[in-house]
Amino acid sequence: MPDLTTRIGNLTMRSPVMLASGTVGYGPEYEGIIDFGVTGAIVTKTITLKLREGNAPPRLVETHGGLLNAIGLENVGLERFLAEKLREAARLGVPVVASVAGTSPEEFGQLAAAVGERDEVAAIELNISCPNVERPRNPVWSDPAAVTEIVSAARAATSKTLSLKLSPNTSDILSVAEAAERAGADALTVANTLPGMRIDIKRRRPALGNTTGGLSGAALMPVNLALVWKVAGHVSIPVIGSGGLADTGDALEFLAAGAAAVQVGTALFANPAAPAEIVKGLETYMEENNLASMDELIGMAREERRICTETT
Amino acid sequence: MTKASVSPTCYLFTFEADPEFPTPRSGQFVNVAVSDDLTLRRPFSIAGIPAPGRFDLLVEMRGKGTRALAEKPIGSAVGVMGPLGNEFTLPEPGDVSLLVAGGIGTAGLRLLAQELRLGGHRIRTLVGARTSEGLLHHVLPSQAGDEEPSLEVATDDGSEGFHGTVTGLLKRALGEPDAPARVYCCGPPAMIAAVAGIAAKAGVPCEALLEEMMACGVGACRGCVVATRSGYKAVCSDGPVFDTSELVLEELVRA
Repeated sequence: MPDLTTRIGNLTMRSPVMLASGTVGYGPEYEGIIDFGVTGAIVTKTITLKLREGNAPPRLVETHGGLLNAIGLENVGLERFLAEKLREAARLGVPVVASVAGTSPEEFGQLAAAVGERDEVAAIELNISCPNVERPRNPVWSDPAAVTEIVSAARAATSKTLSLKLSPNTSDILSVAEAAERAGADALTVANTLPGMRIDIKRRRPALGNTTGGLSGAALMPVNLALVWKVAGHVSIPVIGSGGLADTGDALEFLAAGAAAVQVGTALFANPAAPAEIVKGLETYMEENNLASMDELIGMAREERRICTETT
Repeated sequence: MTKASVSPTCYLFTFEADPEFPTPRSGQFVNVAVSDDLTLRRPFSIAGIPAPGRFDLLVEMRGKGTRALAEKPIGSAVGVMGPLGNEFTLPEPGDVSLLVAGGIGTAGLRLLAQELRLGGHRIRTLVGARTSEGLLHHVLPSQAGDEEPSLEVATDDGSEGFHGTVTGLLKRALGEPDAPARVYCCGPPAMIAAVAGIAAKAGVPCEALLEEMMACGVGACRGCVVATRSGYKAVCSDGPVFDTSELVLEELVRA
């Protein structure tokens, strides 16, 4: 039986298949629907200091091979998350990664400290890359100096495993990745959604209440896969692949590109059984290819890895 | 799954549910995997229970998702999540209920009509559509045996029944003696807003079944929200049935 145990910093998971932030709520919404027993971890809806109502509807529009969303980080706020949602999530028996977003390095520090001191939180994902909230110019996710400040603040606030969720919407993702690694991030989640829009011709208005939204789903998969390939070849901390992956084949591609784990998100909407199917599929693949552990799978399409295999 | 054409653009589908599928209540919906080529499932109101272990969906062919469902061969196995969402509040015994449906909104009230009739409740029904072709009153439970005329139809073009909108009929119905104690409505947002306004003026409690684009169907993604007096609520998990006095009606109708 192949061993799917996956380690990201101090986070140990029974499989590399995580559930992406924003798609599973706080977890219990999907109780009895998703098989949490095989899932590596759930990443919660992003938490902000204060409750957020989110954007005006419509918040969703389907696209060819994808989905645009502009939820606007609707969440219950830190206080209610700590008092209610976190306990409920912890009862699911799967590691909980708390996703947080601040509007300044200080806020990121405050949030990381507050969720980090809770035993129910296995790790923290810093969401600097939501395309649906303010700061139109010089976004944080493209700014290595801002990323250094944010990660440093969070690092100083907690010893829990920290992953920074990057944006695909940047011309120089490597500088951002480097900055995060140097500032003490334990991992990088690559990556969030890409901005996009559709127009409702009947109403002659943007289809989304927020005008633009984040593109997820199958259409995003090759874009984020290329970024995982790039980032995993550049940093020495683990990369968590995310973006439109829907089945075992997609998950294998992310892992082969160098991701140490993957996140399933939009695919859950059509197929809540996808995480369990992917876990089963990975086991079968490893058995058929005589791979005993995740180390043998991660980065298997990379040149440096192939040379390594050939010489041993 | 079987299907029957009930109008030029609508089908009535009947599904044989798995044994573990709970019996749906009026107001609830299912999220249906209509096609592998689409990113999202499609939510449909449960539009009837023709026999134990079965349920109906009444679907208008409107876009890719609904067409994909209609194109499935009879006997296909279809992935269905549900029943999801909340339920209508049933009336007190003896009260008259008024059901107001616009177009495909008839789908959202058909199971309620069945439940109310089975429970011995008195109902009156108003069904509207743009033209006579869009009227779906004929799929509602039979009106036979009723002492009073309990169904009225309206068309915007006057091709059948009352010439005008169902809200015209509603104003009349609420003004009559033996007026309804409760209003239930489903239809386009403009109709729901108008019905809610008229019911509020008459002091009659009113519930609306809302339709919205959905992703998860279980309250996780927060994609299908509607503005209420206590903030945004998810149509899938806080609804789809809402007391119309809770809704911010000005925001219900999209500019």
